Amino acid sequence: MKVIPIFIEAGISGFESPAAEYKELGLSLDQLLIRHPNATFIGQASGQSMQGIGIFDGDLLIVDRSITARNGDVIVANFNGCFVCKLIDKPQARLLSASKIHAPVNIRPEDDFQLEGVVTRSIRLHHQAPELKACMH
Amino acid sequence: MYALVDAVSFYASAEKVFDPSIRNKPVVVLTNNDGCVCAVCPIARKLGIPKFEPYFKIKWLLQKHGVVVRSSNYELYADLSEKMMNVISRYADNQHIYSIDESFLHFKNYGGIITNWHQYGHEIRRAIWKETKLPVGVGFGTTSTLAKAANHAAKKLSGFNGVAVIDNAQNSQKILERMDVSDVWGVGRKISQRLHHQGIQTAYQLSTQSPKAIRKQFSVVTERTVNELNGISCLSWDEIRESKREIFSTRSFGQRIVDIHTLQSALATHGAIVARKVRRQSSLVKKLMIFASSSPHDESYYKQTMIYKFPVATDNSCDIAKVISLVLADIFVAGVRFYRCGVGAIELESRAFQQSDLFVTDNSNPALMNCLDKINNRYGQGILTLGVEGQSKSWQMKRHFLSPQFTTSWRDIPKIRC
Repeated sequence: MKVIPIFIEAGISGFESPAAEYKELGLSLDQLLIRHPNATFIGQASGQSMQGIGIFDGDLLIVDRSITARNGDVIVANFNGCFVCKLIDKPQARLLSASKIHAPVNIRPEDDFQLEGVVTRSIRLHHQAPELKACMH
Repeated sequence: MYALVDAVSFYASAEKVFDPSIRNKPVVVLTNNDGCVCAVCPIARKLGIPKFEPYFKIKWLLQKHGVVVRSSNYELYADLSEKMMNVISRYADNQHIYSIDESFLHFKNYGGIITNWHQYGHEIRRAIWKETKLPVGVGFGTTSTLAKAANHAAKKLSGFNGVAVIDNAQNSQKILERMDVSDVWGVGRKISQRLHHQGIQTAYQLSTQSPKAIRKQFSVVTERTVNELNGISCLSWDEIRESKREIFSTRSFGQRIVDIHTLQSALATHGAIVARKVRRQSSLVKKLMIFASSSPHDESYYKQTMIYKFPVATDNSCDIAKVISLVLADIFVAGVRFYRCGVGAIELESRAFQQSDLFVTDNSNPALMNCLDKINNRYGQGILTLGVEGQSKSWQMKRHFLSPQFTTSWRDIPKIRC
């Protein structure tokens, strides 16, 4: 007698989850927060001068270099050899803080100034992240 | 049309991306163990800092000019390289990444679409600078070899501002006449010496030789080079592709090793690196090579190489460590002051097409290896290791001037003053 083994599908494998074909649809923070991954870097804010717009000491800053800064944008710049995060005042060539105790800084011709990118997001970690521990103060 | 895009002294430029305090300073990068200068930024080049000189020899010169010295930060370079390559890939539908800082592009049927190659080259340069803060040179040519020559012109010859185009006989001759044959891609040192003896000094002179005569005197490879210099395309991507069929981890020690345990831990660490790289490209090791040697400058040079063939190909770090322990006694000799050692996967198999063995049990442990890789990817390489790798890494390469891993380690992300 010839026996052709055929498995009874429903009996052995059970019913496929109706959600199986949606499995791929996880939420990715990277995708949401980073539009241009090749032109983006992550930095960490240090200081109080941007608290007025909600950037606090220790926050993560997502900086996109591919975007051209418009007047009033939150930007990161190389200012005399140091990365700074400020609001850019283009018409008057000034760097503005979001805090009353920090006066605007004029960009003078002798200053070394390069725009690095636009801060598109900032992230506050309400609980400390162990990965970041070493750089928290 | 072909293009070659490559970064201007890539390692030194990469050091400047996340350290704005050194952007306007002369910077050099040292090789493994801080031995030689391997990259000199344009500012340092103008000061006359030579490349490939031992660090200790030119230390005084570097100090005199206030040159910033950095150790090779491969973690940073690999990440920046990937970003740069991705930006470059936007500019053609056929990209071939040739090395960490060089990428070829092939433009087929772009005739009506791109009319001004010069302008296109500058567009590529601007985009890469804006998005990655890396300076590049762009060379266009009707063959890969000419694109490479144009790139040389763009970066090294005066009168080109980072972009050069070879698309007709006139501009080809103009550039090739100013290039030494030794600067032609594919012409090695020995061949260029022989060419010099025959009075062939410039790339242009080489291009006017009869390909057949060159083939007789040298080889098919050099014949192809002559054809390529004349705009006849002979090289396909496959021929200029670097082989990834072997994975090596090898290094000279920061200080000599004389005891067997330290040698074991060094070899085991290399084994773990190889295993990690093998897993990353979904391969398995079939044949493993393990070697250690003293320095060739020592009075009596010692080198021992062992090759082990796995019954079943594996990507398990533990298997590889076991093999290293097995052959260790055959490699180690008391009294030898070991200078260098390494491990290489010299025969690789694909995980997807692995032939399973009927009689030998497969003791690969993908779950464990996956866990190991995930922990190390998340918290930094070397957080979780095999016991045999040891804790004290006195033999590890010297990287005294290492910059932070700005883009690959959370601890090191750049600080931004607010």
